[in-house]
Amino acid sequence: MVPLQVLVADDEPVSRTVVGAMLKKAGYPVIFAPDGEQAWQMLDSDDPPAIALLDWEMPGLLGPEVVQKIRGKQGQSPTYVILLTSRDSYADIVQGLRAGADDYVTKPANEDELVARVNVGARVVQLQTALADRVRSLEEALANVKALQTLLPMCAYCKSIRNDQNYWEKVETYFTQHSNVAFTHSYCPSCYERFVRPELEALEDAKAAQDRQRRKG
Amino acid sequence: MSESPVLDHSVIDTLRMLTQPGEPDVLLEVLKMFLDEVPPRIERLRNAWAEGNIKEVHRAAHSLKGSAGNIGARRLYDVCKAIDSGDSTVPASAELVDQLGAEYRSVEAEIRQLLKGA
Repeated sequence: MVPLQVLVADDEPVSRTVVGAMLKKAGYPVIFAPDGEQAWQMLDSDDPPAIALLDWEMPGLLGPEVVQKIRGKQGQSPTYVILLTSRDSYADIVQGLRAGADDYVTKPANEDELVARVNVGARVVQLQTALADRVRSLEEALANVKALQTLLPMCAYCKSIRNDQNYWEKVETYFTQHSNVAFTHSYCPSCYERFVRPELEALEDAKAAQDRQRRKG
Repeated sequence: MSESPVLDHSVIDTLRMLTQPGEPDVLLEVLKMFLDEVPPRIERLRNAWAEGNIKEVHRAAHSLKGSAGNIGARRLYDVCKAIDSGDSTVPASAELVDQLGAEYRSVEAEIRQLLKGA
C-alpha cells in the first residue's frame, strides 16, 4: 500500500523540521506549511494529504480554525487531524477535539509517541477508504439489481427485449449487459421433441437413403 | 531551574538519529536553524517588552519555547515557559527577560561546540 502523505503545519521552523524528520524516518512522505492559511489551501486542494499535523498557534489561521474549515467541507475523504500543542491543559485539549480534531500531541513531540499516533491515523484513513470502496461497489451492484426490477417490454413472438435506448435486443444480450448472468445454450425436453428429434430423424433417413443408393450402385 | 542541563543530550541523540541515508544531516540543519532563527525572536520579545506589549511578549515566548523544547534546551525552555505562562495583564519581570538572554548565550556556546565537533 502506498504510504499516506502527511502535512506538517507549524510557523516555528525548528519544530516543523524536527517533526517532519521524525515522520520521514517512519516512511511517510511529508509536505510543509508555514502558517494556517497555507495549510488550509493544501487541505482544500483536489488531492489533500490524508493526515494533517496542525500547530495550535499559527499566524493566519489557528489550528482549531483550520480544523473547523476542514470539517465544514463536503468531501469523500476527510483528513485525519492531529493538533500539535504545547498547551497541555485539559480545557485546551477538549476545545481542540470539539473543533473536530481526531487527536492531539503535546510539544515538544516525543518521536515514538508521535509516530504511533500518526500510525493510528493512517489505520483509520485506510479503513475509511476501504469501507468507502466497498460501499461504492455495493451501490453499483444495487443499481444493476434495480435495472432488473423494472417492467421489461418483451416481444410476444420472438422474445426480444426492448432496452433503455429503445432498441430490441436478444434476451441473452440484454441480461449479459445488465447483470452478471452468463448464458450457456442447451434445449429443454419439449423443444427436443419439437425440434431436435425431427431433425435427427430426418438426418438418419437421409443417411439410410444414401446407403441404399450406394448398395444399388 | 538550574539543575536542568543546558542541552539535553538524549534529545540531541534523537535528532542525530533522524537523518535518513542520502538526506541532509537533521541535527546540523536544526541546530543551524536554531542559531539563525532564535536571536531575532529574542530581540522581538525584548522590544515588545520595552513597549509594554504583553500580548506580543507572550506570543514570542510561546514560540521560543517550542524551538527550545525541540532541541532539548531545557533551561531556556523553562525561562520561556515562565514568561509564557505568566499573568497576561502583568508584564514579565526584567529579571526573567535578562535570564532569557543569558540562557540563550549558554545554549549557543554548547551548540557551537557541537557544530565544531561535527
